[in-house]
Amino acid sequence: MAVAAVHAGGIADHIHPEPQGFVRRYVFSLDHKIIGIQYIITAFVFFMLAGLLAEAIRTQLLNPGGGFVANGTYNEIYSIHGSTMVWLVTIPLLTGGFGNLVFPIMIGARDVAFPWLNMLSFWIFPVSGLMLFSSFLLGAPTAGWMEYPPVSLQGAAGTSMWCAAIFLVGVSSTMTGINFVVTILKMRAPGMTFTRMPLFVWGQFATAPLLMIATTALAAALAALFIERQFGVPFFDPAKGGSPVMWQHMFWFYSHPAVYIMILPAFGIISEVLPTFARKPIFGYKLIAFSSMSIALLGFMVWAHHMFTSGLAPFLQLPFMILTYVIGVPTGIKIFSWTATLFRGKIHYTTAMLFAIGFIALFTIGGITGIFLAAIPFDLHVHGTYFIVAHLHYVLVGGSLMGIFAGMYYWFPKMSGRLLNETLGKLHFWLFFIGFNLTFLPMHWLGMEGMPREVATYDPQFTFWNRFESFASYLMTFAILIFFFNAIWSIRNGKRAGANPWGARTLEWQIPSPPNYYNFKHVPTVYGLPYDFSTPLPYKGLDEELTDSPPVPAGAH
Amino acid sequence: MSVASLARGAHGELDQLYIETRELRLQGFLLFLVSDCVLFSSFIFAYLYLRNSGQGWPPPGIQRLDVAFAAWNSVVLFGSGATMHYALENFKHGKWMAYMWFLLATIVLGAGFLGGQAYEYNHLIYAEHVTWWGSGIFGASFFTLTGMHGMHVFFGVCYLTVLVLQSSAGVYTRGKYFGITAGTLYWHFVDVIWVVLFSIFYLL
Ligand SMILES: [Cu+2]
Repeated sequence: MAVAAVHAGGIADHIHPEPQGFVRRYVFSLDHKIIGIQYIITAFVFFMLAGLLAEAIRTQLLNPGGGFVANGTYNEIYSIHGSTMVWLVTIPLLTGGFGNLVFPIMIGARDVAFPWLNMLSFWIFPVSGLMLFSSFLLGAPTAGWMEYPPVSLQGAAGTSMWCAAIFLVGVSSTMTGINFVVTILKMRAPGMTFTRMPLFVWGQFATAPLLMIATTALAAALAALFIERQFGVPFFDPAKGGSPVMWQHMFWFYSHPAVYIMILPAFGIISEVLPTFARKPIFGYKLIAFSSMSIALLGFMVWAHHMFTSGLAPFLQLPFMILTYVIGVPTGIKIFSWTATLFRGKIHYTTAMLFAIGFIALFTIGGITGIFLAAIPFDLHVHGTYFIVAHLHYVLVGGSLMGIFAGMYYWFPKMSGRLLNETLGKLHFWLFFIGFNLTFLPMHWLGMEGMPREVATYDPQFTFWNRFESFASYLMTFAILIFFFNAIWSIRNGKRAGANPWGARTLEWQIPSPPNYYNFKHVPTVYGLPYDFSTPLPYKGLDEELTDSPPVPAGAH
Repeated sequence: MSVASLARGAHGELDQLYIETRELRLQGFLLFLVSDCVLFSSFIFAYLYLRNSGQGWPPPGIQRLDVAFAAWNSVVLFGSGATMHYALENFKHGKWMAYMWFLLATIVLGAGFLGGQAYEYNHLIYAEHVTWWGSGIFGASFFTLTGMHGMHVFFGVCYLTVLVLQSSAGVYTRGKYFGITAGTLYWHFVDVIWVVLFSIFYLL
């Protein structure tokens, strides 16, 4: 049925008229590749801002008594740091950014299903980002990125601005999710069956429903918080009969799946980079694909593991603990498959590959501490301490962000036509990897010893490790500056990449870099999986892609 | 598949591109309804959570809602669901006048439901002094949810009015009428949400 829906000569083969003029081409573009690049650039701008906030946090923590910023300001800083990294950096980069940039090409489509909606999704994103940062002018939220009531009910006016900004960026995510689901279901090239889709597409396919469903649940919570703050209508204020614990339910029902929104596409990136540079078929293709889907599904059933200290009845706590362990199984399967892909491979240690291998190492640590935290007795001990901070940064920086960097080094030539500098890239990787571990590894024991998170000052017994972490974090920031320099320098001066600098086999590498606005001259026909390096490419109809011939849409009207 | 053949049968050559665009839009629209449904579900969860938080329901000082009036109002809304169904069916079979009358009837019934809701709100606020902001979790859950639903009905009525204008201008043909299909789906969706809201607020 799904294959039958993809007719040659139909919408999959339709070529939009070529956009004219700077504004149509690069500002209000309908082209998924341009929109992807717009997402990536915008998200990296917010990434820089969030990084500045992170360094303000670490500088404050150089001394037990703080002193770099006022204690209240410190609360605003970590709240906006967290909110920015989740909603304005990681999610947009992995879905709107890399998703838009490559997955339509990977399934042999000329664009996403709804290009206009795609443009709208993008333009909501910088607007909501500006709103979020403007909350500093009104008094930013101070209850962390989770904004638990009653603190968030008492916060300054900026908290309402925070609600509105996150609501808007959620609307953008929801539209992206709908767009991607329909695109993957309906726009695949002939022969691109589900079991022939590249694993990055599977990652997006598992993520898009989460964007659509979980984000809407968060929207409800944000709307309720906004209404309560602005109109005094009680949902969460216990003094008026509301329930602050209800916020935690509504928030984590979104925010646990949000973790998967931030990691499943990164899994997809890793699953492309590893086989390409190990020159070996990915081990357990179907296992990886289906485990992504089961992680997405199970992700909706574990939210209360964030609430073991919130007075949940014990008979409710137990299933949440067990289901959280269950999620460890598909995740473990993936790590096993990736390791097996590397085994006896002919490994090319490019920067993208280094980041992918670094990803496996760091994400595994973050995953294992996640299993610790699922155990109720252990969670009761470390809840609200730096152990949580360590865990979540291993998953979201060691996992998602390392995946994003792997993707940047891997797909930068497809975006720009030029390679990123490999020497600078390796410097970036090693400084970042070392700086990251020195920053976040000691947080595990600080947390076990009881140092609470989200506090501007701390007990002097923790001074040594905090200073150590702060200095290490400056190393991380330096590494990221190298990356920014590399990216800006390479756009003009990088080595020319050609169509397929890595010898990769997915469809985006079979067309020029950067691709033409119509992607393919002929929509290709697909005959197999892209990962079998010993056989000829499983595509037909791509012979003229790298020649000067004009595009020939079979169904042009 | 039957839809596609119908479209071709009516017009001889209806272009393939339109048929596939319509399939995309239909799927996108259904997914939009799914996420809208999640929005309602989250607020319904909030209502049930607060209702069961041990304060008794309705909370002290608040009367039970008037089931009889709301039941009649529901009949009006469900009736509009039926007329919308017939509007679409008649359009598909080329009975243009019947389509228009059923569509207009849907609009009138939808507006009637909104009127009933306005009357009910008016009664609650001025006769019983139960307001959105001043009656604790009861006002929070009742007015937010039914208000959200009322907004949906309002947008629906506006959209159906646009459909009337577009239809008179000849925008829709026997092969191309996605706008009418979408309107019908939306209207049925709003009906189903009301079944749930009516059950949990008035009957529970
Ligand atoms: Cu979780």
